[in-house]
Amino acid sequence: MEILTGNELISGATVYLSKSGAWVEDLQQARVFGKDEAAARDAAIEATRRTMRINSLEIETVQLREGKIYPDRIRERIRAEGPTAPRFDRQHLGQDDHVSI
Amino acid sequence: MYRYDEFDAAFVRERTAQFRDQVMRRVRGEINEDQFRPLRLMNGLYLQLHAYMFRIAIPYGTLRSKQLRKLAFIARTYDRGYGHFTTRTNIQFNWPRLVDVPDMIEHLNEVEMHSIQTSGNCIRNISTDQFAGAAADEILDPRPMAEILRQWSSLHPEFSYLPRKFKFAMTGSPNDRAAIKFHDIGMKAVTNAAGEIGWEVWVGGGLGRTPMIAKMIRGFVEHENLLAYLESILRVYNRYGRRDNKWKARIKILVHETGIDKLREEVEAEYAQIKGGVLTLPQAELDRITAYFADPPFELVNATQIDVVKEKAADPAYGEWLERNTHSHKRPGYVSVTISLKPIGGAPGDCTAEQMETVAELGEKYSFDEVRVTHEQNLVLPHVRITDLRTIYDTLVEAGLATGNAGLITDMITCPGLDFCSLANARSIPIAQAISHKFASPERQREIGNLKIKISGCINACGHHHIGHIGILGVEKKGSELYQITVGGDATERAALGDTLGHGFVAEDVPAAIERLVDAYLERRQSADEPFIEAYRRLGEAPFKEALYGNA
Repeated sequence: MEILTGNELISGATVYLSKSGAWVEDLQQARVFGKDEAAARDAAIEATRRTMRINSLEIETVQLREGKIYPDRIRERIRAEGPTAPRFDRQHLGQDDHVSI
Repeated sequence: MYRYDEFDAAFVRERTAQFRDQVMRRVRGEINEDQFRPLRLMNGLYLQLHAYMFRIAIPYGTLRSKQLRKLAFIARTYDRGYGHFTTRTNIQFNWPRLVDVPDMIEHLNEVEMHSIQTSGNCIRNISTDQFAGAAADEILDPRPMAEILRQWSSLHPEFSYLPRKFKFAMTGSPNDRAAIKFHDIGMKAVTNAAGEIGWEVWVGGGLGRTPMIAKMIRGFVEHENLLAYLESILRVYNRYGRRDNKWKARIKILVHETGIDKLREEVEAEYAQIKGGVLTLPQAELDRITAYFADPPFELVNATQIDVVKEKAADPAYGEWLERNTHSHKRPGYVSVTISLKPIGGAPGDCTAEQMETVAELGEKYSFDEVRVTHEQNLVLPHVRITDLRTIYDTLVEAGLATGNAGLITDMITCPGLDFCSLANARSIPIAQAISHKFASPERQREIGNLKIKISGCINACGHHHIGHIGILGVEKKGSELYQITVGGDATERAALGDTLGHGFVAEDVPAAIERLVDAYLERRQSADEPFIEAYRRLGEAPFKEALYGNA
């Protein structure tokens, strides 16, 4: 299973493509693409590129653990939670930083 | 200290206006990220895991109090109230918003600072001895020449797109505190047979995935010819350096593959062409720049000695701070003070806006308005009267900056690692914190003595792990963080790369592994005067390997 993630242009915040097509901060709202959804995933990537508002756009593999999205890579788990040491809140989107496809 | 002339001021002002326009064009969608990325990188703006990261140049690690106060203002106004000092003696802010960065740069320009060439395949910030111009063991203050090199290398049209980034370090002392043998070009002030002072030039040092100790390319270059000689090296590198493979593009690979003798011939041929030409440094210009770095008005003072034993008896923490965090000065009655940014359990190199303001005030009041940044991620007050030390210490205690651990096991270099960096494979800061807690006891640290631990979260080695007496490299293996330990590295004039003794450790086991290495040293050292690195050289790796892995 896969999700799409990137960093929003203005804030630099870590964001995920949600089921509604909005780019959101919460990993748990991310749209999970199954193995047979490569075409939908690629269309979403293309639509996102056209917005020019999401940088470092990447496909990340995930698992579902007790209904929760759990990224395979430790890097992605840290991106989702924020720095572990020192512990900081993640960067948040500003009022004008919301992006949809 | 150097002050901008009208050319410098106009140059940074124009550059800032250009970047503001580039940012706005990006925000309006007139240019895409592929077009914008090289532009933002040229101005020190990276995109990391959680946000942008903005890197500001601190030329040769020297700051005026006004500049440090401005960094505090930027931290508080545009970031999260702190900054992170790096091994290139720069400062990084981890949480800026893109649209704020041009304003941040404008504020920097007001105090003669900028972020140009803190990224990209160009000549980066030149680092030097943190005690330059103050140290008792120095034969020449390297900062005037560092400033001349800064001017020469800023937007140098020929060297703005080198095969890879390029780093200079300089020392005016035979005791290398600037790790010159691990830079693309390292320079050491030396005296020739005629008694003249010039520069010994080393080339091809570096860390990263292929660590190399630099090789001496020329034993003596006169001040007036240094620009021409360096330009010759850069030209040869620009011509032959590999652009086809990022991992083989640094000059260290060219030196290694070509051989130092052949490379020297190439450089000398180029040098013969340009020596005596427009790059000859006029003595008047050297004198003009040197005047900016003239000694401050030192006083003749009565107190010229610190009685550490007496001070320790009266106040152990103060006495221990005096013992570890003061460095001998060329003038009687003065010392240089290291302000540790390594409190027990802290993030190495991090400094809050309030702490920056405290240090700025101390610099202004007690160190002739000067503060230095060290490549070991600490700060320095270079010129402090011995009689002011107690007042300074008491102020540092209040600010949480009085940790007396300079050069001890808890004074670690640590890269941001996977908590922040998009290149990292493993976290570094939590490892440093765990080691720091493990060895928190001041008595234990002093028993161990001089020991440099350096930690990197990936093979790029920003945390200099190869040249730690104990080095720790974080890697990712099967989805987990794993830490390889090296022993025997040395960043000084006795340059050495650490040896990997065996398999890696999971994070939880790293502090105990370090403790086993330390215990092996303590059991085998000849006396308390034999530091860890000397014992390792004498004993070899066997007892340390056994300490880490047993006899199996």
